[in-house]
This record gives sequence, structure tokens and C-alpha cells, in this order.
Amino acid sequence: MSGELFTVGKSVAPIYGIEKATGELCFPADINLPNMLWMKIVRSPHAHARIVEVNGAAARRIPGVVAILTPDDVPKVLFGPYQEELYPLDQEVRFVGDSVAAVAAEDWNIAEAAARAIEVKYELLPAVLDAEAAIRPESPLAVAFMPEGVLARPGGGRPATAIDASSNVLRGLADRPTVVNARGDVAAGFLQSDFVVERVFRQSHVGAVSHEPRAGVAVYEDGQCTLWCSVQDPYRLQESVAQVLDLPMDSVRVVSTNLGGAFGVKVTGRFAILTALMARQTGRPVKVWFSREEESLDSHNRSALTHYVKAGAKKDGSLTAFEVRTFLDNGFWIGLGENIAQHICTRPMDLYHGCPNVKWEVFVVRTNHPTTGPYRGRADAESHFPIESVLDELAHAIQMDPIEFRLKNRLHAGDDLCSAPGKIMSTVWVEEAARSGAKAIGWERRSTIPAATPGPRKKGIGMALVIHSCGSNPAGTSEAEVVVDREGGILFFSGTPDQGSEQQTTLRQMVAEIFGVGLAEVHGDNADTSTCPFDSGPFSSRTVYATGIAACRAAQDAKKQVLDHAAMLLDRDAKDLEVGQGSVWARSEASRKLDLAEVARHAGGRISGKGIHNAKDDNLFAYGFAAAFAEVEVDVETGEVKILRLVSSHDVGRAINPMILDGQILGGAAQGLGYAMTEGFCFDPRTGTALNQWFLDLRTPSILDVPDIEAVVVELGEPTHPFGAKGCSEISYVGVAPAIANAIYNAAGIRLTELPMTPDRVLKALQEAKRSAA
Amino acid sequence: MDDQETHNITLKINGSVHRVDIDSNWTLNDVLRNRLDLTGTKRACDYGGCGSCTVLLDGVDVYSCSILAVEAQGKGILTIEGLGTKENLHPLQKSFALSYAAQCGWCTPGMIMSAKALLDRNPAPTEADVRAALSGVLCRCTGYTSIVNAVLEAASVMRGIP
Repeated sequence: MSGELFTVGKSVAPIYGIEKATGELCFPADINLPNMLWMKIVRSPHAHARIVEVNGAAARRIPGVVAILTPDDVPKVLFGPYQEELYPLDQEVRFVGDSVAAVAAEDWNIAEAAARAIEVKYELLPAVLDAEAAIRPESPLAVAFMPEGVLARPGGGRPATAIDASSNVLRGLADRPTVVNARGDVAAGFLQSDFVVERVFRQSHVGAVSHEPRAGVAVYEDGQCTLWCSVQDPYRLQESVAQVLDLPMDSVRVVSTNLGGAFGVKVTGRFAILTALMARQTGRPVKVWFSREEESLDSHNRSALTHYVKAGAKKDGSLTAFEVRTFLDNGFWIGLGENIAQHICTRPMDLYHGCPNVKWEVFVVRTNHPTTGPYRGRADAESHFPIESVLDELAHAIQMDPIEFRLKNRLHAGDDLCSAPGKIMSTVWVEEAARSGAKAIGWERRSTIPAATPGPRKKGIGMALVIHSCGSNPAGTSEAEVVVDREGGILFFSGTPDQGSEQQTTLRQMVAEIFGVGLAEVHGDNADTSTCPFDSGPFSSRTVYATGIAACRAAQDAKKQVLDHAAMLLDRDAKDLEVGQGSVWARSEASRKLDLAEVARHAGGRISGKGIHNAKDDNLFAYGFAAAFAEVEVDVETGEVKILRLVSSHDVGRAINPMILDGQILGGAAQGLGYAMTEGFCFDPRTGTALNQWFLDLRTPSILDVPDIEAVVVELGEPTHPFGAKGCSEISYVGVAPAIANAIYNAAGIRLTELPMTPDRVLKALQEAKRSAA
Repeated sequence: MDDQETHNITLKINGSVHRVDIDSNWTLNDVLRNRLDLTGTKRACDYGGCGSCTVLLDGVDVYSCSILAVEAQGKGILTIEGLGTKENLHPLQKSFALSYAAQCGWCTPGMIMSAKALLDRNPAPTEADVRAALSGVLCRCTGYTSIVNAVLEAASVMRGIP
């Protein structure tokens, strides 16, 4: 695209903004239907147990209780968001909070009381709560009774395989990691090193903490099931409901138009299937709505991780070797564990493509902690804290500027990729992001000597580079439809839910641009399986990129049909025609304008353009790059770290809507700040219970905790996207923790190796530094 | 719960009088959302942890999840539905809507109601005033900058400053 653009690149107001500000926007939890029942899920108090008996007799006696579903009452059909691996209810519970049974009652209050009154007899099984210990052959198993027929689907062209239930290591053993990324010879690499750093890093299991607790409302009538549900994957849910309820796909409708936050974790789950089953069982509408505790526990958040890292470099700044062993505490299910592991061990090694010797092993370990999944910054938030911390340490050791050291070893456009063999990136604007960010934070003010500030409150600046995908790999599928209706209206249909990123706004801006109209002229619908074409959902920052490509193709297809019909009506060659402002005209006769309505009527009343982006696409995905900067003040007496400023600098290709882009960058960075400083579930090591399931102790940042954050945007384009855009809704999360850790080192001369970086950990590191100095 | 008493209570919400049968342990949030279909008021926890359920009770911002419906009798309740409409937006609603201060929209009604209570008592707040006043409402999406700016913008508009 060239020349002056109409709406792309402009900060137009988001389409759902007014409805959000008036409270009129309808989320699944806001649906109340006549005669509706409320459902409550009975949850396991044990990390691991076999269900011996579920006795609903006492619950049934409570007035207003209508139906109970136990493991014996549900179809033994496997389903799941990533592979078929879950029964709607199972005979074994595998984490504190796992689903045991469900009860429906006349109101929410009765349902809750009934759930408490259901008596469950458990046979306790040994709980697996230490991922490292769990890889040993003598360890008890986190899943004692694996359902038959479960296949792991790792994706990326690798075949689905039966699950070996005899080890807790997913598709591996104690001496065989789930995934390995190897190149060169690490032993030889370390021999060539002038400096070698070895560290152990630990990161807490953190929650996405969407503020909308998951909800579902199901209606079952005459063999048709409709489900309004808080999921990012409505088409997968449609398929799962059809499988479990044994219905044809077109008898199931799922609507997930707007979600109150999702961040990657709101996927097809038991709660949704149980709501549909309960609606069929009772013949009445059924609503489920999670409590905060349920949203914390049954949510597929980011796993806890331990990384053993060894890295070496030469004095000239060349990286020589990386050797990493990672343990990912996956929870019991397969989920997306292997896929996340694959990206953990490859993507940072693509960013530092210059390092010739790599061995990175990841053990994806089944445990009896809550299940985990792809939360904002998937795989890269998991990997960047250790890698960027170690790089900072090496840069200090060889007395090289941390930015220059990183850039010396970085990926370039056209380099081969270990994260996607056979693919290359057409753009890598990482250096530009780093230099722009450095300028914004005032990098030149940074002391090259750590702990240079006199007195107890020490200031420092740190940074990290970031790579993150936009567009999933393996790729999902986005279909899009653009319609010109008989009134000349332009309608855009996409299957992707809007979880707050306002991607329908950005997608419609692209469609509007192609038709030469303002955003207000494009209407339509999203994430209703009965009206919208298929979409895998908004994951992996894929919407602006992958769904955007599909949307542009659909708009171009519709526009071509408009031009072809107008050419007949105007008796001109289609090549001589222009479309804009709801009309078509010939360049040579601009005064004679045909209304789009006339064109649509000539086409039979409706023009429909289709577009698709899927795994076969030449423009499969792109990588976004970023540089995160932090300025901190460390109080060496109290251990308190004050974040003075964050700068989040991004290679975005091109901004479709700068205001929305800025909002995503700032919001992601604020969430990354929580990961860095305060958040993380504390699990009781004996019982596996999360001790902090509530907002007050989840410690997500409040309005008083978030400092001044500056978003810096580098717009140098991305040729594989029609408007040059890359996705940018997750990447700002990733670099915050390592940038702050490196700033703390610059301020106080200590290395923080555990997330979150709480004051007690800072004090501990200070004491250790003092001891080793003495 | 079987020993809950049922009451018929009168609530004055957004200037209208509602008579509703309730159990004594239903919260104001339960009644607004589940009985009166005033679902603009959200719930994200159930214990005053996040503020997404904030409404005004006689002009004071309160957590509707932490007040029993029976306690709200005789008081003037203002919810987001009573603040403005699509056609006639309150300046706070307008500034939130246009500036992407409402990302997912779940905390938005609570933020706006808390900000309304602030602007009623302090029409010319500083940034620090806004942050202090809204510190009882959490947002997971924005990082808060756009929210603070939206409140300051609305305050200026309401004071007649262009």
C-alpha cells in the first residue's frame, strides 16, 4: 500500500468503547434468561485422589436443587482445547480445584450451598508437587489413571503419538527431555570462552487474572445447543460440544463476541462442556460463572519454571555457548506444554543467532499443580528472564556495553531459524528498537560501574532484548468475510473474539481502508459460530497479522467483485475504476458515481468476499522484536525496589491504530511488571493448595504501583503483511522482568534470580553479596 | 442457606424504585445483576478485592459485592446505567470510550463510578488525587495511564475547560 491512507495509521476511537463505558456491552456473564438455572462446580480439595463415591442425596434435599452431574452421569468422550485429553468429568482429580461434579439450582446461592452439600469420598494418591523430583523413575505419577486413547499433538508437522503414562516427563524420561534444541558443540564452545557464567533461575506460576471470571450460558432445545461462553476458541468449543453431546457441528452455536480479558488462557474447558450437558439434562437454560478462586485455579496460567543456565563469551563480545536445562511444571494435562517448550528453547537462540553452540533441554513435567498454558508472552516470558540476565552478566564480565554485546550476536533478516526450520524473517528491526529505546530512557546516564550511587537508595538502569512471535507457529487458521449488502453497507465477519485488544477495530480499519471509507462505515459481527467464518482465535499476537491478512484478502476479493460488476454497469474496464466513500467511478469520468448499493443489486443483492490465512500460507508469521528498559531505585536497607520508569520499544512493522497499539504496549508492560515484582502463586508444598487465590494477595499492580511507562514504536514495515503490520499485544510483557533485574544489578550490584523479585529476595541477595565480599 | 429469610425490599436505583424479593444474604451486586438485570455493574471477585462492582450509595463509591442488599434500602443507588446513555454520555464515559481507557471493559464501570465520586467531591483533581481515589479499583489491561488521563480530561470538560 502506498500513498495517503484513509484510516489505517490513525488513532480512531475503538468500536466497542462506548458500550464498554456505558456498561451496555454484553459479556457472557451478563446474559440472564427466563427460567435460567445456576450451575456450580464441585471442586477437589486434594491435589491427587481417586473419586470413590459422589453422594448427592443431601444436596438433592435442598429446595431449589434441580440436577447433579457426577463422573458416572457424563459421556466418556475425550475433548480438549489442544488435543482430546479430558473427560467432562473423570474418576481421578489431579489438582486442588479440579472438577468433581456439577449441580444446577434455581439461584446462585442455592447452587453454592448444594455444591457444599455434595459428599465426595476420595482415595488419596501421592501428590507430585516438585517438577525436578518428578522426573525420576521412582517418582509417583501425577496421572495414575490416564484415559484411554489420549494422543499428544505436538504440532509443527510432528506426528500425534500415544501418551506414555509411565513417566511424568511429557514424551520423555528422566534422562530424555521432552524437547532439545542443539547446534554446534557446547563443550568446545565453553573451551573457547574467556568468561563463563552459571546460574539457576526460578520463576513462579503466575495467573493471567482476567477480571471477567469465566462464564457460560447454555440453552438446549430440540437438539440444538447455544452457548455464550468466555473462551478465545469458540470454534474449538463448538467442535468439543458437538463431540461430547453427539450432535452435528451445525447444531451447536457458540458466541464469544466480547471477553473481559483473556490473555491466552481462556480456552475450551470442562466448565463449558458441563454447562451444555446440564442444559440438556434439565431442559432449561443454565449459567455458570466462576468465583475468583475458580478463575485462579482452573485457568491454565503460566507454569513455574527452573532453568539451569551456563553461558560463555569471548572478550571481543562473541557468544560462544549456551547450555540450558529447563524444568516446566506443567500440571497434569498435556495442554500446550510441548509447544511452549519448543519455543522456550529455540526462540531466544534465534534472537542470538550468532551463538554457534547451543544445547537447551526442556523437561515438560506432569505434576499435581494446576494446569498451565499459553499466557501472554507465551514461551518468551518463560525464557527471557534467565537468558537476558545471563547476557547482562557476561556483558559486565567482558566490560562491554550490554546493548552492543547483544546486537553483536543478534539475528539478521534472512538468517535460518531454529524455531521454524526452513523459514526466514523478512524483517528484524531489533537494533532500531534497541537504539530508540536507549535514547528514550537516557541510556548514556547509566553508570557502567554497578552500585555507583552513594547512600542507601541506589539508582540503576537495565535493559533486555525481546523476540516474540506474531502469528502462531504451528499456524492457526483465520477465515474472513467481507460483504457488500443491498443497501451498499460494508460488513466484516471474523470468528475471532475481542478480549479487550479491540482487534475488531484494527481489522475493520484495514477493511475500511481497502474500500476507501471511514471506520464507522464498516459494520459486522465477530466470534459467533452461526454468522462468522472459522477462526482459531486471538492467540500468539496473531490477529493483526494472520487474521489481518485474511481480512485484507476478503476485502480485496469483495472489492474485485464490486469493480467487475461496476465495470459492466459503467461499461468501462474494471482497471479504470476507483472505489471510495460508498461509490464506484471511472477515473476518466469522476462525476458519474455508482452507489455501492446499485452494484450489490446488480450482483444479486449481496457481494461476498472471502479471505483465508492458514498453515499453508507463504506469509505464515512474523517475529516482533522489542527492547525493554527500566530505571530503578533499590533501597539496600529495606530491600524495596522502586520502579522509576519503564521504556518499552517495539518493532511493530506499522501501527494500524497507534492509540490501541500504545494501550497494548503499556498494558502488557504493566502486567510484566507484576510478573517481575509481586505476582506468583504460593503453593503449600505439602498439599499443593494455592495460598493466594484472591486479588488482595495475588498482588496484580494497582494504579499506585505502575510507574511512568513510555511506549516507543519503530515503524519500518513488514513486507509480508498488506499494511506492513506485526502483532504487538504480548511482547511488551516479556522484557520487563529481565530489564528490572539488570537495572537492580546496575543499581546495587546484586543478581536477582527468582521471580517475583520481592524485598526479601533483594535483601537475601544483598546479604549474600556482603558475605562473599567478606 | 436453607435458613435464609426472604424479604421483600425496596431499592431506589438510578432514580427509580424497585421492589424485589431477596434472601437476606444476597449482596447488592447479586440483586443488581441477577434480579434486576443491571449487568453494567460487574463482579470480578466477591470480597472487595478489585472494585469492578463499584456503585455509588448516597454519592459514596462502595463495593456492591460487599454490601448486603438489605443494607442498601432507603439509600440512593447510582449504577453505570444511571450515569449516561449512548446518546447522552457522561463526560467520563465519553473520555473513557474515545481514548481506549476501556480495554476489556470489565473494570470500566467500576472505574467510572469511582471517578464520578471523586469529581463530585473534587472537580479539579491532580493526577495524584486521581490515583489515590481510584486505588480501590484494579485494572488488568491498561497499565492505568489512559484511565488517569481520561479522568483528568473529563474533569476539564466538566469545568468547562476546552
